[in-house]
Amino acid sequence: MDKQQEYVLRAIEERDIRFIRLWFTDVLGMLKSVAIAPAELESAFAEGIGFDGSAIQGLARVSEADMLARPDPSTFQVLPWRGDQRGTARMFCDILTPDGEPAAADSRNVLKRALAKASDLGFAYYTHPEVEFYLFHTPESPSGPLVPVDEAGYFDHVARGTGHDFRRAAIGLLESMGISVEYSHHEGGPGQNEIDLRYADALSTADNIMTFRTVVKEVALDQGIMASFMPKPLSGQPGSGMHTHLSLFEGDTNAFYDPSGRYALSSTGRKFIAGLLRHSAEITAVTNQFVNSYKRLWGGGEAPSYVCWGHNNRSALVRVPMYKPNKGQSARVEYRGLDSAANPYLAYAVLLAAGLKGIEEDYELPDEAEDVVWDLSESERRALGIAPLPNNLQDALEIMESSELLAETLGESVFDFFLRNKRQEWNEYRAQVTPYEVSKFLRAL
Amino acid sequence: MRAASPSTRLIRFGFRELARASSILAEPWFTEVAGDDGGDDLLADLARSADPDQGLLTLARVHENATPDARAQLNEVLRTPGERRSRLLAVVGASAALGDTLAMHPDDVALVTGETGQGILAEGADEVRATLLRAVGADPDDAAPVATAQGPTDAMRRAYRQQLLRIAATDLTRPDPLSTLPGVAATLADLASAALEAALAIARSETPDHHVVRLAVLGMGKTGGRELNYISDVDVVYVAEVAPPVEGDGAGDEDASGGPDRADLEQHAMRVGARLATGMARACSGTSLEPALWEVDAALRPEGKQGPLVRTLASHLAYYQRWAKTWEFQALLKARPVAGDRALGNAYVEALSPLVWTAAQRENFVEDAQAMRRRVEAHVPPREADRQLKLGAGGLRDVEFTVQLLQLVHGRLAPEIRQRNTLAALAALAQEGFVGRADAARLAVCYRFLRLMEHRIQLSRMRRTHLVPTDERDLDRLGRSMLITAEDEADVTTELLVRWRHTRRDVRRLHEELFYRPLLPATAQLSAEDAALAPEAAGARLAALGYRAPDAALRHIAALTEGVSRRAAIQRQLLPVMLGWFTEGPDPDAGLLAFRSLSEEIGSSHWYLKLLRDSGVAAQNLARVLSSSQYVAAGLRRAPESVPWLAEDGDLAPRAPEALEAEMDAALRRRAGDSESSATRVRYLRRRELNRTAVADVLTNLAADTTPGISSAADAALRGALRIATDRVCEAQGFEGSPTTLLIVAMGRLGGHELGYSSDADVMFVHDPRPGVDHAAAQTFALAVAQQVRSLLGQTGPEPSLEVDAALRPEGRNGPLTRTFAAYEEYYGRWSAIWERQALLRARPVAGDIELGERFVALIDPLRYAGGLDDGQLREIRRIKARVENERMPRGVPANRHLKLGRGGITDVEWTVQLLQLLHAHEVPALRTTRTLEALAAAAEAGLIDAGDAEVLRSAWRLAVRARDAIVLATGRTSGARIDVLPSERRELAGVAHLLGYGPAAGGEFEEDYLRTARRARAVVERVFFGE
Repeated sequence: MDKQQEYVLRAIEERDIRFIRLWFTDVLGMLKSVAIAPAELESAFAEGIGFDGSAIQGLARVSEADMLARPDPSTFQVLPWRGDQRGTARMFCDILTPDGEPAAADSRNVLKRALAKASDLGFAYYTHPEVEFYLFHTPESPSGPLVPVDEAGYFDHVARGTGHDFRRAAIGLLESMGISVEYSHHEGGPGQNEIDLRYADALSTADNIMTFRTVVKEVALDQGIMASFMPKPLSGQPGSGMHTHLSLFEGDTNAFYDPSGRYALSSTGRKFIAGLLRHSAEITAVTNQFVNSYKRLWGGGEAPSYVCWGHNNRSALVRVPMYKPNKGQSARVEYRGLDSAANPYLAYAVLLAAGLKGIEEDYELPDEAEDVVWDLSESERRALGIAPLPNNLQDALEIMESSELLAETLGESVFDFFLRNKRQEWNEYRAQVTPYEVSKFLRAL
Repeated sequence: MRAASPSTRLIRFGFRELARASSILAEPWFTEVAGDDGGDDLLADLARSADPDQGLLTLARVHENATPDARAQLNEVLRTPGERRSRLLAVVGASAALGDTLAMHPDDVALVTGETGQGILAEGADEVRATLLRAVGADPDDAAPVATAQGPTDAMRRAYRQQLLRIAATDLTRPDPLSTLPGVAATLADLASAALEAALAIARSETPDHHVVRLAVLGMGKTGGRELNYISDVDVVYVAEVAPPVEGDGAGDEDASGGPDRADLEQHAMRVGARLATGMARACSGTSLEPALWEVDAALRPEGKQGPLVRTLASHLAYYQRWAKTWEFQALLKARPVAGDRALGNAYVEALSPLVWTAAQRENFVEDAQAMRRRVEAHVPPREADRQLKLGAGGLRDVEFTVQLLQLVHGRLAPEIRQRNTLAALAALAQEGFVGRADAARLAVCYRFLRLMEHRIQLSRMRRTHLVPTDERDLDRLGRSMLITAEDEADVTTELLVRWRHTRRDVRRLHEELFYRPLLPATAQLSAEDAALAPEAAGARLAALGYRAPDAALRHIAALTEGVSRRAAIQRQLLPVMLGWFTEGPDPDAGLLAFRSLSEEIGSSHWYLKLLRDSGVAAQNLARVLSSSQYVAAGLRRAPESVPWLAEDGDLAPRAPEALEAEMDAALRRRAGDSESSATRVRYLRRRELNRTAVADVLTNLAADTTPGISSAADAALRGALRIATDRVCEAQGFEGSPTTLLIVAMGRLGGHELGYSSDADVMFVHDPRPGVDHAAAQTFALAVAQQVRSLLGQTGPEPSLEVDAALRPEGRNGPLTRTFAAYEEYYGRWSAIWERQALLRARPVAGDIELGERFVALIDPLRYAGGLDDGQLREIRRIKARVENERMPRGVPANRHLKLGRGGITDVEWTVQLLQLLHAHEVPALRTTRTLEALAAAAEAGLIDAGDAEVLRSAWRLAVRARDAIVLATGRTSGARIDVLPSERRELAGVAHLLGYGPAAGGEFEEDYLRTARRARAVVERVFFGE
């Protein structure tokens, strides 16, 4: 047993933990949980806990339903909202086949594979997400109108605002779970908040995002309100994105940093951006995985809908932020397409794969966009070679389907499942008659 | 003698560089030591050393650097014949590196010549340890000695090299170096341990708070086994504990309220321990005036280089209980306290060794052991493979691995074999009856020989190498230093290489004997020297080798070897090595069982066992096919005459269709009138050819694109069946000869020569009434023949049946089974749906009247190769395909896993190719072929399909076709829904992957490959076929 497992077992003893929740994530990014008693933990570390994988989205085919969940001791955390005494703790799990091999369909494993590939090239991959979400008063009925908890805007300070208390409580919980929060503020939409997690290696960040979503929902429930990470809950108001800052390190050196480069960006950084841009349409189905995601991308409100990069250009898909001089270690690029409902494991894996492809194949970085691309005309954009992101989930799937990069990064079985599942989602969505149509056409036609 | 010229004299004494030698001999110092005979006696002594030139030159250099006192002493030694002089001459002749040491420190000559006989080898480890500790000014009696000398690192290294000189001198002058070897290796290990102890004393002197930690150094690898060579990395592992507080330290006064807690103490102790370990390694291998000794390598510790350098005993224990891999237990087997805190070191061994001896029961032990072995063999760069002493086939690693694996497997039940030392372990294994005595003894000799070579190679320049030199002079020096003699001096090199080659060959052979021979029951042993394992031990060994049902395997082994028959006698010889070969396939148990069945079936045939015994490869090939293909196993049992194909000159090339035709013809002619016997013969011939192609496919990992032999066998069977059927119906209906000319046209995959092991034969029946014959009577006759053909071949029985399917005829299953040529002519003139045109692309006359066949081809050619397709036809064919996809796909099979009908599967590719043929065959003659890949290549050649797309389709088609065949070959199943589906059961998948030439346990890789290939193919199909 290694140090970390010993630590976990000791902590469980010392802190009188009665239940351990084993968490893992299905292919669509939904958190799954199974609780075990402390006595079962040793064998869970050694062999994993068996469960029926066919019941979980995309995890296994019926014929090979048996799967094992093996907790990763480095993710051990006591769940604070369950009370500190006689509490409950959680760990994230790796999913294994009965032979003990990593399951091809485990999202966490997809990211691990991508990280291993980066590591073969000598890179460690760090991410720093800015997660946006909305807070609503709990509607009386499921069909009742959505009422945001306030009417404030970007960076507004709301006196005695619910959001304020909310953020303080949520951040308190997150910090107590060892998840550092960088920043938090009120966002552009009414009731919309943003909390930035501190940068960490991509696997930890993805684990943290899964935890974060749970914490936010728990705190909201506690306070009698409702939190949602839906990409675009209100038409006419900004959607909830998850802009993520990405960086690669070679040992202790930031691989994106070169003081002599333009914007202090190294050639590795430039190629990485070129990779992100060239493959952005292919990865959109993963970074923006729901039909609703495209309402955010194309519904205004500063969402990046066009494939271009810029420096401090908030309309660009990829932004090279300004950083303080002599802070070479913080060199990074920001991908603004991602939304808050993405499966973070898969999304970070495909972003990494796209960027690495750019590095490996020496992609040329196109010119930067200096204009606000939303304000350009269609033909201006065409002249500048700025392509749009997919219009909707259907388009995104079609592009994804022919992407070798995605098939390779996700593995054939996740790739196949994802396409099938999302096509079904699209077909179900297309069959809907929306309130918009009813109000617009019912009487008029 | 006096008359000899100076040069002749030098040559006689073995010198090669005559000019330099004679100038040295002219130097005054030599004259001083030469004596009355002009130095002949001294030179004769020197001539016995490995390299007289090098020796003489070294002596001259030592003389030059020596102080007057030392010079006098040297002269005295050189003047006096005897053992002391021989020791000096042997060292300077064999080792340039030690010669340099002497030249730099001429006083050390006294060490070389200061003793006789066993010399340092007779000293105990404690004495050596004391010598090195004193050299650094540390007290050997102190529990934790601390160095006090000035420049202790150099002092320690000097002392080490001085002792090394003593070892080399004894080593090189003992009359039987192979017997001396274990002692030399043990003393070298003791010397290394002593150096570590002294280095630790140095580290303590640099670490003021060293007393807070108890640190023990465990020797691993050759150091742990007391079998070190002259120069190699010294493998160590560190264990540390908090030292009890020293009295008067004040620590005891602190009560629970204020004292540092245990964790802090431990943390501090580990930090100090790590500093000591680092300091110790630096003293051995860091830069200093005196060159470094060797690397201290701590990579075998828990978590390898990522893990902390120093751990507590509890932490070591926890790691090994939970995390360690099989190879780590194998390494742990050698652990021995060599320096530092002795009690702690002993506690470590005591606590961990029980884990070593239960490692064989851990899951993955078998896979790990096999993987380790493969890694060892694959690791050597090919360029040096044949010069390697250590790695590669028949090398030292082979011996060590064999011994260690046997120890791990049996050590749990037999404490006697828990030895760290390779030779001691081997002796114990023989003593306890786990391996044969004679084999063990021979392996021990091989091991000593290889080690001696290694020692002598390293001694020469004190380099860490395991490569045998290629230079003639180096080889000569090597052979002479090993005291290898030959009648002609010049043949020493040849003799050396021959013995080395024999040694390597023996190691390989003995590996098998040691592992597998003792699995045979006592009654089956060849001699009393052989060991026979008790059932429990045999079961453990079989399980470790990869047999999943050891008890059953033991029963098979007993059945195969019992009795006094000649068969049993030969099988006793064969079985040990075959038991090993079976484990290389995916299913060793099935292989052994199949071998037993085969043997019981045909073992009494005189040629069978003789072939297995005498052919170099027949037995190995047999083991290979039996453990990987149930189809072949069943086939061989039914047709023993197939076994000779497994020999090196085996008749595995598919029979040419003409030859097959001729054989069939002769066979039927001989049996004219006996239709029952004829029918059996026809089916037999087909089965024989299926066996032949199956064996070839298994042995070549299905490397060819397709197996045309399967189709040829079906062709021949159809021809034979048609003849027999015709005769039978003539007799039944009272005709002298057939009233109508008959023809069978092959369709589908048979038409394309692309039949798989489980395919049906698609055909159409055609006939043409002879002039004057009543059409109705002719039709009745032809129909009866067609039905007869189908039942003859479709009959179930011992021979594999061939389903003859005529569904592709005009009007499909609603149309008559056979038609006259005129009816076909009329039908095709009027109707012909697009699917019929498509089906005709594959039409090929296969049996019956040749001239009618030609007419039929002339009839259909304009149809199938007509001018392209109009839009309606194109739409129609796409619609049919879409419908077929939807309807024919079995329920519950994921669309991407069905090899035939699935996305990107066989049908997808074939329809695409056929569409290109329909569209363009009228203008591109090369498209007019019934074969898929040929048509595809022609289409690419003509630019009708992008070359990249064509390649995607080709590889998808090929992989799917081969996977289907592999499924049949692996499982022996020729029908059922599962034979067309990529297996999802892991073991079955691995078996199929194995047949396709994937490495061991590569089922997942194959699955990923197939899914990727098919996905890409589907994208091409959608573009090219569906025009999307």
